[in-house]
Amino acid sequence: MLAYSLKKLLQLVVTTIGVVTLVFFAMRLIPGDAAAAMAGDTLSGAALERLREQMGLNEPLFVQFWNFLRNLLIFDLGRTMTTNLPVSDLIKSAAPITLSIALATIVLAIAIAIPLGTMAAYMAHKGHKTLDNLITGLAMIIALMPSFWTALVFLLIFSLTLGWFPASGAISWDDPYSVMMRLALPILVLSMSQVAILSRMTRTAVLDVLSEDYVRTARAMGWSELRVLFRHALKNAALPIVTVVGLSFGNLLNGTVIVEAIFTIPGIGTVLINGINSRDYQLVQVLMIFYALLFVFINFATDILYRALDPRVKF
Amino acid sequence: MIHQGNIPVPLLDVRNLRTEFETDSGTVRAVDDASFAIMPGERIAVVGESGSGKSAMAMSILRLLVYPGRVVGGDVLLDGTNLAQLGEKQLNALRGRTVGTVFQDPMSSLDPVMRVSKQMVAPIMRNLGMSYKDAYAEAVDWLRKVGIPDPERRITAFPFEMSGGMRQRVMIAMALSCRPKLLIADEPTTALDVTIQAQIVEIMKTLTTQANTAMLFITHDLGLVARLADKVAVMYAGRIVEFGTVAKIFGAPCHPYTQSLLRTIPSPTALHPARLPQIPGLPPDMKQGIQGCAFRERCAAATEQCGRDTPKLTDRGVNHLAACWQPEGLAGIAQEAAPRPELRRNDSPFRDRVIVEINNLNKHFISSAFLSRAKRTVVRAVNGVNLRVRQGETLGVVGESGCGKSTLARLLLGLEHPTSGEIFTEGLTQMVFQDPASSFNPKMRIRSIIEEPLIVKRKGDWASRQARVEKLIDLVGLKLNHLDRFPSQLSGGQLQRVAVARALALEPSVVVADEPTSALDVSVRAQIINLLADLKQELGVAFIFISHDLLTVRYISDRIAVMYLGEVVEYGPADLVFNSPAHPYTRALIDAVPIPDPVKEARRSSAVLQGELPSPLDEIHGCAFATRCPQANQRCRDEKPKLRQHQKSREAACHYAK
Amino acid sequence: MSNSAITPPPRALVVWMALGKTLAELRANRFLANSKMRSALAILIPLSLLILLAPVLPLQAPLQTNLMAMMQPPSLEHPFGTDRMGRDIFSRTLEGVKISLKVGLSVAALALVMGMILGTLAGFFGGLMDRSVMVIVDILMAFPSLLLAIGLIAIMGTGLVPVVMAIAIADIPRFIRLQRSLVLGLRTRAYIDAARTVQASQFWLMSRHIVPNSVAPMLVAASISAANAILVEASLSFLGLGIMPPAPSLGNLIREGQLYMEQAWWISTLPGVVILLIAISFHFLSDGVRQALDPRTRK
Repeated sequence: MLAYSLKKLLQLVVTTIGVVTLVFFAMRLIPGDAAAAMAGDTLSGAALERLREQMGLNEPLFVQFWNFLRNLLIFDLGRTMTTNLPVSDLIKSAAPITLSIALATIVLAIAIAIPLGTMAAYMAHKGHKTLDNLITGLAMIIALMPSFWTALVFLLIFSLTLGWFPASGAISWDDPYSVMMRLALPILVLSMSQVAILSRMTRTAVLDVLSEDYVRTARAMGWSELRVLFRHALKNAALPIVTVVGLSFGNLLNGTVIVEAIFTIPGIGTVLINGINSRDYQLVQVLMIFYALLFVFINFATDILYRALDPRVKF
Repeated sequence: MIHQGNIPVPLLDVRNLRTEFETDSGTVRAVDDASFAIMPGERIAVVGESGSGKSAMAMSILRLLVYPGRVVGGDVLLDGTNLAQLGEKQLNALRGRTVGTVFQDPMSSLDPVMRVSKQMVAPIMRNLGMSYKDAYAEAVDWLRKVGIPDPERRITAFPFEMSGGMRQRVMIAMALSCRPKLLIADEPTTALDVTIQAQIVEIMKTLTTQANTAMLFITHDLGLVARLADKVAVMYAGRIVEFGTVAKIFGAPCHPYTQSLLRTIPSPTALHPARLPQIPGLPPDMKQGIQGCAFRERCAAATEQCGRDTPKLTDRGVNHLAACWQPEGLAGIAQEAAPRPELRRNDSPFRDRVIVEINNLNKHFISSAFLSRAKRTVVRAVNGVNLRVRQGETLGVVGESGCGKSTLARLLLGLEHPTSGEIFTEGLTQMVFQDPASSFNPKMRIRSIIEEPLIVKRKGDWASRQARVEKLIDLVGLKLNHLDRFPSQLSGGQLQRVAVARALALEPSVVVADEPTSALDVSVRAQIINLLADLKQELGVAFIFISHDLLTVRYISDRIAVMYLGEVVEYGPADLVFNSPAHPYTRALIDAVPIPDPVKEARRSSAVLQGELPSPLDEIHGCAFATRCPQANQRCRDEKPKLRQHQKSREAACHYAK
Repeated sequence: MSNSAITPPPRALVVWMALGKTLAELRANRFLANSKMRSALAILIPLSLLILLAPVLPLQAPLQTNLMAMMQPPSLEHPFGTDRMGRDIFSRTLEGVKISLKVGLSVAALALVMGMILGTLAGFFGGLMDRSVMVIVDILMAFPSLLLAIGLIAIMGTGLVPVVMAIAIADIPRFIRLQRSLVLGLRTRAYIDAARTVQASQFWLMSRHIVPNSVAPMLVAASISAANAILVEASLSFLGLGIMPPAPSLGNLIREGQLYMEQAWWISTLPGVVILLIAISFHFLSDGVRQALDPRTRK
């Protein structure tokens, strides 16, 4: 277990270095340079040169890279272009919102999708095609609905028409109830597609396991269908499901950007879009790294969980 | 035994059982009108080829079939209770308790993420009402009874930490631990090596006899039937076509299918066996409804009536039933007049030129795991092998899994590079692979498959290549219209013929055949063996025939090399090696092979080779076989015996070779 | 057929015979017999016809404004209603579908070709080639796909070509992985060994055995990728990072309607339904391809 975790940790570090390097050098590919792109038509001549100086663009490339790495390590991420706020403060206030949305969605999605998928698989296994087709068909349609569109439709129905949830307003952690109401719709929208994806995957995984020989052995030993399903089928199907949950976290992060934009929630996604629109490349590169590291870390966690669930994994 | 007056009441009475599978292209009647009975403590074998419905029938008894299969009719009386009328809950009370089950593939039949202890203890607690502690002790005890060394420690293992043989022992322990009255065993030894198979069969025999447990034993191996069963049910295309005591079935079979099947198996004793009799054609497609007798198209005794009416099981004497319109099956039909051509033996030592010479060949696989505590490990897959093959000769290579025979084949073909040593070959070497399903590119037609070597080697123009392909397909006994089909449209036996045609395309001097018949059904196997034997005689090609099936190897080979843990332990003329083996491993291997003759099986000693193959990772100083050899002494463990000339025509690697 | 009298048939005849055979197979059952494929085509064919015929249909041009008919609900004249500048949403949607299909098909084609090439090389040769390709793949896959596309748009700017490039770059690693795993599975097949025993060249093995046997699953992945690309393009446009207005991409249409959700629900809602239909049809297509190309279903 320890050797395995160390190995995965090493992979995590290598990927992290790769991500940081890629983001840094990709940003140097901007036509002209970052300063010129940021300034657009507003600055020229000496002023532009001053901006370059300020951004450290006149240093040799490797010095810039070194400074970039050092600043990342000490969490000194510079200030934003438009508002001149420290980027680190911005992340500290925005990240909890995005993370709450993501976490709540995952929990909700797992709680709904796994029973649903298991039920569909069991029905398919027993040859009751109708319910299975209904669940899988619905899941496919929901998974394919563009999340921004679903969000708009929900907004129209639940906020604008029915008035159940507020469509705007500040988020203050001092008032948990208001935060909950404010985040409820985005979480609902995101969990719909997550439920769809996860329940399909759960169905496949459980269906595969149900046709395994050891399930037949359990039946031949006289265990009830429920015990077979929970003790043997779900326990073994948990392995592929864990992997899928980890991977679909990427989809979830994609979704947060969109729901934050629609429900005007000041999370990381909103900061990112604002950054791009104001051509604040230093901010954008930090946020790209933030998202990637979050995703990489989640995958690391699922690897460790997988190892804990499956005694067969050695390396 | 339960008695009702003087008539013993059967433990299990199956009446007119019918099972169907719903498929996209129609309903398949997998089991049709099957009736038989098992007395308490009796062992019944069900034999048949793949698709004959034997497994479906076994699974139907306790209604363990899953969708799309289901039992559609018939009664199953167990101890007087009609299982057909029971609900799931009542059936669950019988499953595991009154009827234990052992399945074919030990690698997948135990839950991989659950410790053996957990899988074994829970059923004992439930069925025998024991406390956890008692049940645990009972489980350990059963593991000891099935021959698992150090059961106190092994019971806490996960299945993946055990070998296939060990897992099958666990399965048997699990099935017997709740003291069932009936044990259903579905091909329990098919996936195992022959010496392990002998151990498992012996254990099952002993334990069921002790507890007077009846056994329903499903197999395709007639040898095992002869070794184990009291009575036999022969199944063909979903029906029981013959049922009777072992003595009757092997001594005086009535159904043409049984009669032909028994003839297709190479005899272990005949000195110069004739060409194998073979059953023509293929088993019927079960998706088409079968009218009349399903065997009629392959039967020499078929009459008009056979195509019209389906024969029912009728009495053929005491304890003997058969479903055939002919009273004596093929016995009443005149056999082919021409005497069968003799298979020419080619084993005189100086007769022909040596065309393959292998000198001190080694292949070691080195694995090192990153960040692992285990140190670098070396697997000696092929370890110092010396062999020669002469022109037009067939060399049989036998051994159990992991003995290095397949690696040897890959080395011969240049698919692996030797770690050290040399291979000299005169002319080209080609190969026939084991699994017909993966031997062919599924996207290519048979024509292109056979043509491929010719194109790659730029042999001839388009017209001459087509001519060659057509000649080859004729040579292996297929028709021209097979050339335009895809591999998925051909049967396993036909595909192996194509494989032979492809191997012969470039006129090689040697063809290596790695288990070419092991994926095929018994009735088709003989066709392929005869084909290889004919080609050897007609074309003068040398064959290296690699197999774990001793009877077949002995039948087809001029010489035999026996391998154990990467080494050749015995080498010599086939009949000599088989009839008077010099190496104790060869002896053990031959003793382990079940012979389809109940009289001989009964006379054989039940002493079987103990233990399992040592781990290939272990460093071995002395004789590799010393850990299992009954005659091993200190010298064997310290000093490695060399393969040396022994008598005038054979070699053996044993200090004490007789 | 006699052996001596055969001569190679003319090239053209071979081609025509192959074509005829393919058509016959199409007709027989390979493609049209499966219901998934039929449902996919039932959506895609009418939609394509509508796009092609749009110029001759009695529809207002997609960019033409009409201040006399602003924000009108769906009617016979304007099946999807009009927006705040009186533009016809239906004809704008058709134009948007055109863009969507362009994006979807180009991304799928790019990802398929690049994934096929790099995945085959990595899986077949292994070693340094494999490691260097997979390092890049792992790093790219560390980013959630939409976010990677957003980042790339930030660098390359907006517009059709950058959008296609950005989505494709985010998708290619998945194709490389898939192809590589397929190749690793195929590499050990006995028919590869059989070809190697006659010293077939690496190119022969790849082009004759590896690629033909990995095309089917890759095509399945490609049609899912097309659906996915259409959704991603719509998301990017919706965020203002895709195709720029006034070009009526479907994402833009929904974005424009966002402000008028309460007064004119149709502006955003109906194009959304169309996106959903296209995405579903591509998924049906992938299921259909899977069934049709599965050698087990060949009879």
